[in-house]
Parts: sequence; C-alpha cells; structure tokens
Amino acid sequence: MLLEASAVTKQFGGFRAVSDASISIDEGEIVGLIGPNGAGKSTMFNCLSGDLPPTSGRIVYDGRDVTRASPEAHARLGIGRTFQVPVTFEDMTILENVMVGAFLRHAGRNAAHAAAMDILEMTGLAPIRDRPARSLGTPGRKRLEIARVLATRPRLLLLDEALAGLNANEIASAIQLVRAIHARGITLIVVEHVMEVIMSLAQRVLVFNQGRVIASGAARDVVQDAEVIRAYLGQTQWIAAAPAAAVP
Amino acid sequence: MRNASRAAFGWLALAAGAIVYPLVLPGAFYIDVGTTLLLAAATAAAWNIIGGYAGQVSVGHAMFFGAGAYLPLLVYKLWQWPPIAGLPFGIVVSLVLAVLVGMPTFRLQGHYFSMATIAVAELIRLVVATAEPLGAAIGLQGPAVGRGVWDLTFRSGLPYYYLFLALLAMVLATSWWLQRSRLGFYLRSLRASERAARSLGVPVRRCKLLALMLSAAFTSAAGSLYAVKTGFVDPESGLGILVSVQMIIVAALGGAGTLFGPVLGALILIPLQTLTNTYFGGEGSGLTYILYGGAILLIARFEPGGLLDLVYRARGLFAKPAPSSEQSRHAA
Ligand SMILES: Nc1ncnc2c1ncn2[C@@H]1O[C@H](COP(=O)(O)OP(=O)(O)OP(=O)(O)O)[C@@H](O)[C@H]1O
Ligand SMILES: [Mg+2]
Repeated sequence: MLLEASAVTKQFGGFRAVSDASISIDEGEIVGLIGPNGAGKSTMFNCLSGDLPPTSGRIVYDGRDVTRASPEAHARLGIGRTFQVPVTFEDMTILENVMVGAFLRHAGRNAAHAAAMDILEMTGLAPIRDRPARSLGTPGRKRLEIARVLATRPRLLLLDEALAGLNANEIASAIQLVRAIHARGITLIVVEHVMEVIMSLAQRVLVFNQGRVIASGAARDVVQDAEVIRAYLGQTQWIAAAPAAAVP
Repeated sequence: MRNASRAAFGWLALAAGAIVYPLVLPGAFYIDVGTTLLLAAATAAAWNIIGGYAGQVSVGHAMFFGAGAYLPLLVYKLWQWPPIAGLPFGIVVSLVLAVLVGMPTFRLQGHYFSMATIAVAELIRLVVATAEPLGAAIGLQGPAVGRGVWDLTFRSGLPYYYLFLALLAMVLATSWWLQRSRLGFYLRSLRASERAARSLGVPVRRCKLLALMLSAAFTSAAGSLYAVKTGFVDPESGLGILVSVQMIIVAALGGAGTLFGPVLGALILIPLQTLTNTYFGGEGSGLTYILYGGAILLIARFEPGGLLDLVYRARGLFAKPAPSSEQSRHAA
C-alpha cells in the first residue's frame, strides 16, 4: 500500500466538502477519481497533498503518517500535485519554472538545469523553453504544471483535471504523456470529467458524491453501478457541456 | 548566449565609467554626488533582495540602515574605538531585528510584513529619539579629527567614493549569484505563488527569512559606511521613513527584482534630487517629498515593472514577433 486515507473529513464552517472518505492506493496504479461538480475531489487532493489539513481522519503514505505534514514536506516525500486552475510562475520562463521543481532533488544549478531539460524533452516543451510562462494558454499551462511537478521526481502524482479544456488532438497527446509518466514507475490519481479519458487510462475508479466515496472498482463495473448513474452519469450531457470549473 | 556577453560588456563599461568618473570630474561637488548615488544604488540593491526578488515589500529598511549607522558612532562614544569597528555589530543587530520582524510575519501572506516593517522602524526611531545614551534627538558624532588611518577620516571625498563603489559591487555580485542559485529561483517562485512554490517543496518561510537577513546585512553595512563618512547620525538621517522610502523608489523606478534596476533608478533619481536641492535649496525639505511622491505616481500609473521593463517591452515591439503556437489557445 502506497497511500491510505482513512475517514478523512474536511469541513468548511458547517459544510462538509469531504465527508468520512477512505481510499487506498497501491504502488503502480492509475486510479481515476470522478464525481459531479462540487463533489469534493479537489478538496480531497488538497488534503492528500498537505495543502489543507483534514478536519479529522488519518493519511498514511509509505508507512508514514502525513496527515498534518506541510505541502513542502509532501513534495519532499514524493507526493506531487497539479492544480485544477493552473498556477504557473508567470514572470519566469518555462525552463525556469521546471528548474524550480528540479531544485528539490538537485542543489546545484547545472544539475537542476540538466534534470529540467530531460523533463522538457519528455513533455514536448523543450522547443519553447525560453518563453515566459505568461505567454502560455490554459492547455500549455497545464502541461507546464505537469512538467514542473515531474521535475520534483514524485512517486505519487495527483492530477486535477489536467486534461480539461483540451481539444481532441491535445487530449490524445496528453493521454500519451500520462502513460509515459506511468511507465516511469509513478503512481497516479487522476481527476477527470471526460469519461473516455478515465476509461482509457484508469485501471480502477473511485466515485465521489457530496464528499463521500459512493463506489469503487474496475472502470467498466463502476459505470454500471446504479447509484453512480443516478449521481453522475445521468448528467453526462450537462457535464460535457460544462466549462472547466473555476473552483481551485 | 549573445545576450549574456552583451550584458557582461554593459557591466564592464559601467564599472569602468564608475571608476574613472571622479578622475574625469574631480570637483568635490561631483564626487559628493557620485558618492550619494552609489550609496542610493547600494541600499536599493540590498532592499531589492527581499523587496524585489522575493516580492516582500519592506517599508522599514531604515531600521537596518540606522542600526548600521548608529553602532560605529556608539562604539566610538563608549570606548573610543575606530567607528568602522562598529560595522559587524551593526550587522548583528540588524540580523536580530530581521529575525524578530520576519519570523512572525512570514507565516502570513499579504501586507502584514509591510505593515510590521513600518511599525517597527517608526517605533525604533521614536525610542532612539528619546534615548540619552544614543544622543536622543541630537544624535551621535564620530571623531572630529582622525587619530589614525583606521578612523577613515579623509580630507578628500575620493576614498569614500571608492569605498561605496566597492560596497555596491559586493551587493551586485551577491545579487548576481543569488539570481542563478536555488535560493534565487525559490524567491522568484514564491513571489509569483506561495501555494504553487510550496507544492514543489520550496520552504517558503525559510527562504523569505534568509533573503531578509541577507538584505538587512548589506543595508546595515551601507549605513555603517555612511556614518563613517559623515561622522554623524541623528534619528532622521539614520532611521527616518525617507530612508526606507528612497530605497523602494530607487529600486522600483529602475525595476524591482532585476540586477540593473536599482542602479538605473539611482542614476535617474539622485541627479534629479541634486538638481532640485541645488536650485531650490534645502535638503530633505518638502521638495524631496514632492519628488518622491511624483516618482511613486509615475511607477504606479505607468509601469509597475519599472523603467527596465519599459525598455524590454519597447525592444520587444521592434523585434520580430515570435511564431505563435498551439499552446496559446485558451480552454473552452
Ligand atoms: N476553501 C474553501 N472554502 C469553502 N468552501 C470550499 C473551499 N474549497 C471548496 N469548497 C467547497 O467544497 C465543495 C467541494 O469543492 P471541490 O472543489 O472539492 O469539488 P470538486 O469535486 O473538485 O468539483 P469540480 O468538479 O467542480 O472541480 C464545493 O461546494 C466548494 O464550494
Ligand atoms: Mg475540482
């Protein structure tokens, strides 16, 4: 077991964004995390990455209790994440953005530069590495966030709608990238609204609704689950038409 | 890499110009203006480490400058030491102040740090202005006549000019190293987004504190050299709010968070300030406030990135447009 979250609850005032959620992830898995808007997926990511301490519950990563560890400690331990609304370092170049990530494992500038160049090649950003991050559109920013966190050499990577807002071509190449990341031995939890993406990537799917895990299992089985259909898949058309949500 | 060699050439030309300037224009007046300019550039460059690269706007750097200025004259008053011997003590006091102000406020984001620095600096000024051992409102004085070479009392302004030039070179060399180091990358990243920086393992609070300590140490050293040169400090000249504000304006006018910005800002503001002081009289008069206020308005209205950013953009307008890419399309 790489990650085990038990009975995690996150409360905002009187509102439970995540409610008694338990999940466990094995090393080497790609797990899909789905659910309607506001189900608590991003909030769960924030708890798993140390961004928000859970109100209650316990999170164990690689045998270590990380429930209240800081985000930087999470990064050091090998838990990386991207943000639903990308947060790039606007005034820095694409290369410099990725070097910030690489400096976590390489104190020296030359080593960090070399590590960042590797990642830029892998993610296809190398040809535009000297452009400032602010020149990128949303799809480019999402790719840059992935590159940046990959440079920290994570063991577990949390991708929050990294493929949202991409066109068909871009989605195909992003799926390739996620596969390549997985092939490097990195375990992934992927939040995504587009069912085709989840079906083609995830071996196992967790369904969130109103802060709770309402179903879990192989992608095909989950799609058939009555409760899931009611909570989520019944609204497929509405979901497909929805713009990328603005909740971070 | 052509850009890098062009920048190196520019710096060499600037250094050469700074070295020969007092020999070409040898009058006491020109040397004095040059020294003032170097001091302004050095303090602004020191401020730039925390205020520019890290984006944590201190409005109380006078506390470090003042600590640096008071300590040399204090060790002279108490023990008749050569004033320059007070420089390391000034740095120690400044580092303690930096930790006291930084530790509690760097937990928080936003303007808490700015407000805390103003409050602490003003508090220190008020306390010093009533403290008899520190000369209260009158201030402290150094040796009237030099007792030996270590008192650094020179008849000519020339040695001071080169002393300040050496200080500026040290601050700029440190900033250059910083820009390229891990700490420099971390500071720029946390200025853009603390949340994203932390998610990549950046120890945000520690980095901000280190930057503040580095900045405080150089500001303090500048204050010490100032006190050694003038042989005098009072609460206004050492700890006044104008001291802090000048650093911000010089750095922001040229371009905060850049290596050349503080130098450019000093090259513009100090000659302007000297002109107004010469033709309308009265240093530190209301006119200085008007000049600073005008500079702030200009910075805020036209260029938050400073003049250097304006230059880069103007150059960008004439450069060939970069090939547009797939990446620039926005999400549906
Ligand atoms: N910092 C916060 N303070 C208060 N409420 C919050 C906060 N963050 C999230 N919420 C609320 O918690 C609920 C869950 O939000 P969350 O962003 O986790 O949902 P999500 O499953 O990621 O949705 P989406 O698919 O739209 O991204 C929402 O109702 C949201 O408004
Ligand atoms: Mg979300």
